[in-house]
Amino acid sequence: MNSDFIIIGLYLVLMFVAGLFFSRNIKSTADYFLAARSAPWFWIMGAIWATNIGFLHGYLAHGGAAYEWGLIQANFEWFQGPFGYILSGLFFIAFYWRAGVYTVPQFLERRYGSALSLIYNLAWIVIFVVTIAAEFYLGGIFLKNLLHIPFWPTVLVLAAVVGTYTLLGGLGAAIMMEFVQFIIMMLGTMPLLFILLHMVGGFAGIKDVLIGQWGVSPQYFTVLPDIHHPYGPGPWIILGQCLVITLGWCAGHQSMVQRNLGARSLYDAKFGYVAAAIPKTLGAFLYIVPMIAAPIIFASNGIFVERADASYGKLIMNLLPSGMLGLFIAGLLSAGLSSISSVLNSTSTMMVKDIYERYLVKGRGDHHYFIAGRVATFAVIALSLLIVPIVLKVYLIMWLEQTLLAMVLGPFMGILMLAIFWRRANAAGSLVGFITGAVFAVLLQQVFGVNIFFEISWWSFVVTSIVTVAVTLLTAKPRPEQLDGLTWESDFRAKLGQILEERAVKNGAKIGEVPKPVVRRPPWYLNIKYWATAILLVQVALLLFFG
Amino acid sequence: MTEEKKGADPKLVVAVQMLSIGIILLILGLVVLFVSPLRSMDHFVRLTFLISEASIIIVGLAFAIGGGIRYKRAKRA
Repeated sequence: MNSDFIIIGLYLVLMFVAGLFFSRNIKSTADYFLAARSAPWFWIMGAIWATNIGFLHGYLAHGGAAYEWGLIQANFEWFQGPFGYILSGLFFIAFYWRAGVYTVPQFLERRYGSALSLIYNLAWIVIFVVTIAAEFYLGGIFLKNLLHIPFWPTVLVLAAVVGTYTLLGGLGAAIMMEFVQFIIMMLGTMPLLFILLHMVGGFAGIKDVLIGQWGVSPQYFTVLPDIHHPYGPGPWIILGQCLVITLGWCAGHQSMVQRNLGARSLYDAKFGYVAAAIPKTLGAFLYIVPMIAAPIIFASNGIFVERADASYGKLIMNLLPSGMLGLFIAGLLSAGLSSISSVLNSTSTMMVKDIYERYLVKGRGDHHYFIAGRVATFAVIALSLLIVPIVLKVYLIMWLEQTLLAMVLGPFMGILMLAIFWRRANAAGSLVGFITGAVFAVLLQQVFGVNIFFEISWWSFVVTSIVTVAVTLLTAKPRPEQLDGLTWESDFRAKLGQILEERAVKNGAKIGEVPKPVVRRPPWYLNIKYWATAILLVQVALLLFFG
Repeated sequence: MTEEKKGADPKLVVAVQMLSIGIILLILGLVVLFVSPLRSMDHFVRLTFLISEASIIIVGLAFAIGGGIRYKRAKRA
């Protein structure tokens, strides 16, 4: 056990020191909030995946749910996640990128005006602060249960490490650490899968024991179950979870989008997002498939698991030798810290760029906002730590997070789709639509007792879209500057113009006095569309194999 | 939006990131290998552990060397 403490301690110290070393290079707001727009695609890939995996979403919660409900939990990794990453990478990111914004609310402000942008911004800041508090809480509880170390000192150490490198280094430091965390999670925690499969006789062995000997329902091994499944009815997973929540998360979650905006080019941003679907797919082999085998290990060793979300910790504690256990805990800490740092950095960006600079203190020098970014990061950490005692129960945290997400993501997808695909969509329509959709989501949950999160999101998306269209048609058209470069049509026209111009130049025509910059095309093996197709084919194969 | 101050060199930023990632992974990989009781591990567990450790060390080494070269180049420029 001592060697495990050495590994965990060393890991935290290394992150702390590297954060300090990196922060010397950060000089402006673009460096701080967008990592000097320097990140290559593989940085984006690792950071996107690491951002997506936390204590709330990943090893502990998803692993625990897989232990309880089976392979259905893999639909996040084998179906929805890659779909959301690829669609966002191929399509949505380009609009943010071309709009030259720092945040999603800035895009909404350009397209729909300031009122909607401010509401969206404030809603996300609340969600983010709750998320950070929840991650700190879960991290503290996890280490307390696993290593029997006191809760508050652990939380404060985690806050000091992640706070220091994010506060000083901004997005660049966060992305750098997320890549380290991506490698440690991928390479350090993958052996568990092979060890477990070796012990239980492969995937067929798991099925033989669970279905053949224990009489477990075959639905336990189904990724997309039928509509009667109590945890996740298949049709609602496709409609509500995949098309609304996951896509809304990938295209509208500031932490996810901000990593792409820090890329060195639009190509890197798009390819990074599409390539992140590869680790996302592999994620199921890190914490879903091992947890399907876990009941057999627990039964054969007489281990009692009181709560599903404690199952992953119990499994590694009882199975892994010292040293390897330390690396695993470092991997699990990585999941939590990467999630905290990304959300922390995004919250400070939204607070400074969308509220402080926009409404409170206008027109000051760049250095002023750079410092404000650091102050905001510190304030968010302090606020999150203050509310940790309030979010005492995991179920309360999950309920709060899911309610807030249902209120925001369904309506957001409604207005985003209309913003891009329908030129006529305007500020009044989107504002009324968003508020109606959010209120409808709360009513569905609180008054009508609908408790399937996916269903709430789907209906709030539908209501938002209908109300937005209706109100838009009754009010004035948007101004031209609210459409330029921000809608699919203007994007299509620009691309068509470029294609026609390139053809004309090829045919010997001289266009203008200034020579056009040469667009470097990537080699075929780095073609985004080929990779996207290949990844989607792998998803289809996995779904066909596992059902 | 306010006018942005001239910021960091993007090439230097990536070089520092690569170098830091490489050093962290290399140190962590070597220390984990050093402090782990390899002899007491089951044969199959030891094999998977060594493969995992070797992968982390190799990735760390690659990033440290690549980052070092890029860092020198960026500093010179």
